[in-house]
Amino acid sequence: MKTIFALISFVGLTFSLGASAHSPLFDCFDNGDGTATCEGAFSDGASAAGVGIRVELANGRVLFQSQLDEASSYSFEIPDQEYMVYFEAGTGHEIVLFGDDIY
Amino acid sequence: MKPLKILAQIAALLTISTSASAHFLVVHTPEMLLARSSNIDMSIVFTHAFDGGPTMDLPGINNFYAVQRKAGEEDLTRIDLMDFLEPVKWGTETPKSAYTASIPRATMRSLGDYQIVVEPEPYYEAEEDIYIQQLTKVIMNVGGAPTNWDQSLGLPTEIQALNKPYVNWVGGVFRGIVLSEGKPVPFAEIEVEYLNYQPDFDARKFGPEAAIEAPLPGYEYVSLRTDANGTFSIGLPKAGWWGIAALGVGPTTEHQGKPLSQDAVLWVQAKSID
Repeated sequence: MKTIFALISFVGLTFSLGASAHSPLFDCFDNGDGTATCEGAFSDGASAAGVGIRVELANGRVLFQSQLDEASSYSFEIPDQEYMVYFEAGTGHEIVLFGDDIY
Repeated sequence: MKPLKILAQIAALLTISTSASAHFLVVHTPEMLLARSSNIDMSIVFTHAFDGGPTMDLPGINNFYAVQRKAGEEDLTRIDLMDFLEPVKWGTETPKSAYTASIPRATMRSLGDYQIVVEPEPYYEAEEDIYIQQLTKVIMNVGGAPTNWDQSLGLPTEIQALNKPYVNWVGGVFRGIVLSEGKPVPFAEIEVEYLNYQPDFDARKFGPEAAIEAPLPGYEYVSLRTDANGTFSIGLPKAGWWGIAALGVGPTTEHQGKPLSQDAVLWVQAKSID
């Protein structure tokens, strides 16, 4: 399952880079202290401040739901089970990043 | 023609081509555009880019940093990279002083552009009895969000990009403007050279295979001048890295009592469309 998640996630990232102007861009990083920080942007350089973000367990339970701050970032505690992060940049512009790909 | 005369002509031609070939501060990492942040290995070598040598001893690096602007923000952030430098010997037959840098992922992990600047100590060119200092920029991007690739950094001299240096198709055109103390330099002398031998970061040397062969030594670099507004355009006929050097355009013209050529260098990467 983890392999499938990683593959889907990779395809998602590739697509987000390959799409046309004003495509959403998103990535998350493990801070090494039990937290992760996610950042969003758009391919025309526009800010992603205020864009919705959702951290969800594999079973569908929503752990955190918020918006990117003025620096287009959001930090959260990494759950101890399989999870994914959704970047909610509008219809057709949602990006999902799986926990396995956050390092 | 007598053999001695032929040899003399060949020797003269080689001498001319060696002395006339452009010096380039190669600041290289495999990809300027990164899909995601990652550790970055960088080779910093003062050499003749097309021939992969002769390489010169790089006397030192005064400043090495990245200038970042996050998407949607106005402020520029300077990230010092000096701690990541490692002095190395580059090449196998006659190794020369150079540098590598292993930049950890956390240093440049945010989405956006990073203008990387290398300010070397001036190099003494004994043949010409002058110093050469090439203020060199490589503009990298993480994640595809364009932020400050097109901004001047206010260096004493620099090439300001008018196209993204990290996104270019083979067959396309790259444009830029040569600045000295922030002002355009009209009719500045420019040399463009292809990085013909792939730098091998781990082996500390250039690869053995040339990507292209020049039909004559004169083709090893292309010369042009900026226009009256200080701008220039070049074609990118081959995938890889292209170095652009504006010669002697910096405001400092003397170092330790000798003439100084303070150059502005920018590297550009082109990808094949096939």
